[in-house]
Amino acid sequence: MFGFLGMTYEFKWSVLWAQPHLTWLIDGVLTSLRLASISWCLAVLLGIIFGAMRTAPFRPIRAIATFYVEFFRNVPLLVWLFFWYFGAPEVFPEVVRQWFIRHGIEFWSAVAAISVYHGSRFAEVIRAGIQAIPKTQLEAGLSSGLSVFETYRLIIIPIALRLIVPPATNESLNLLKNTSLAMTIGVAELTFAARQIETYTAKAVEALTSAALIYLALCLSISSVMNWIEAKFAIPGLIARGTRAEH
Amino acid sequence: MKRFGFTLLLTLLVLGLAGNAAAQGQSTLEKIKNSGVFTIGVRNASPPFSFINKQNERAGFSNDLGALVHKGIEQKVGKQIKMEMKESSPATRIPLLTSMSVDLITETMTDTRARRDSIDFSLTFFMTGADFIVKKGSPIKGAKDIAGKRIGTQQGSTNERILREKYSKAELVTLPDQAAAFMALQQGKLDAYCNDAIQLWGLKYKSATPDQWEVVGDWISYEPYGMAMRKNDSDFRAVVNNALMEAIEGGEYFKLYEKWFGPKSDVPYPMSQAFKTFLLSQVVPK
Repeated sequence: MFGFLGMTYEFKWSVLWAQPHLTWLIDGVLTSLRLASISWCLAVLLGIIFGAMRTAPFRPIRAIATFYVEFFRNVPLLVWLFFWYFGAPEVFPEVVRQWFIRHGIEFWSAVAAISVYHGSRFAEVIRAGIQAIPKTQLEAGLSSGLSVFETYRLIIIPIALRLIVPPATNESLNLLKNTSLAMTIGVAELTFAARQIETYTAKAVEALTSAALIYLALCLSISSVMNWIEAKFAIPGLIARGTRAEH
Repeated sequence: MKRFGFTLLLTLLVLGLAGNAAAQGQSTLEKIKNSGVFTIGVRNASPPFSFINKQNERAGFSNDLGALVHKGIEQKVGKQIKMEMKESSPATRIPLLTSMSVDLITETMTDTRARRDSIDFSLTFFMTGADFIVKKGSPIKGAKDIAGKRIGTQQGSTNERILREKYSKAELVTLPDQAAAFMALQQGKLDAYCNDAIQLWGLKYKSATPDQWEVVGDWISYEPYGMAMRKNDSDFRAVVNNALMEAIEGGEYFKLYEKWFGPKSDVPYPMSQAFKTFLLSQVVPK
């Protein structure tokens, strides 16, 4: 199968479970998951806030949200990582900066970069969900005595969140995979661990294949959880799902 | 779960097929002769060995030695060959070799026994050891002072490995290249940056304020630099080694050393007698 390297390459899969390599891989997976889950929560929060603001019936609020989305989604994540690591901390007061330096500045810079970047992308997904809801829902909410904020909180957003599960799954998978970029600012996540094993053992194919398969497994698990969520929270009659479209 | 297993299988298959499309078992000299191109792996920011200079050109001691090997290859295959340079890094250089993307790594790669399991090295063309660079006045004077401090290293370097294994009390921050590590040091995000002494001297002299930086400590490692190539290709290896031996014997090596490490260079680093003897003794008779 890997005949192309046959001349020079000998496989040795055992490097993956020889110590300390296995510990690095496990630590790497845990760091990736920690980075992804914290960033995901923040990104979804930012996405809901700015996605809702993008559809708000007040122009200044829409403008602020549009600025956020366009500014953050149109610069590559790698550039944002460098910005949040080398640039942003420099403007903080020295005490705060030193505190971050002593408490894992690499990790928190990566959290900031990934959550703000993916927040802008989630905002668009959520905006699309909100705009798919007929305007009559908003009007019905308002005429029943709810304020705009309450209508969003109680009616619009709960429906929108259900509508957007498939694109949100997509975004969540992207977020998980994008955590691999954090190694460029020294976060020891999964890709970092794989490279580490590779440089110690020079077994590139084994190390990178293991990382690829672990990412694949993580992503497949996320998709199946999201599929379950989609089925579980579907509103009967609102979203056709689980059966083929009838003709 | 069924679908899960199927996807895994499919991925393995795709990986395998993509692999097969890459070259099939020709020797490096044949490959160079057929394609007319000799590709070396170099660095963007490792002065004075391999870097991009102020005129935005690739330059450095290792690059110049690579050019000598290039001449040797042209003589061997008896035709004109184009030399190309590709950026490599500690993390990418072995895959670059095994995937046939580059033919020879000529930068600052330390020859180690572990690396010899998967690639071959030329004879040693430079010798150094790991040290620390710190801001002037730093309490760090050497490896004994680094416990609990934030020490920068380069991803995939031998220094990183030594720190991890022998000085596990230091907090390691592993960054992708020299430029990133030095920036983090300048911003106070690192207490010290560990790399081969000669490269730290290069960094110090290349920085905007050389007086502000100090290279401290005794070598915590021994780092013999060699050129790296694919394993089990002794014809090619002989061409590389012969070119280096001829350069040492004929004096070109010492001219290049003078150019990059002499008193008038950016990084004055006189050659020790021990290293000179070692270098000359690597040259076998004609």
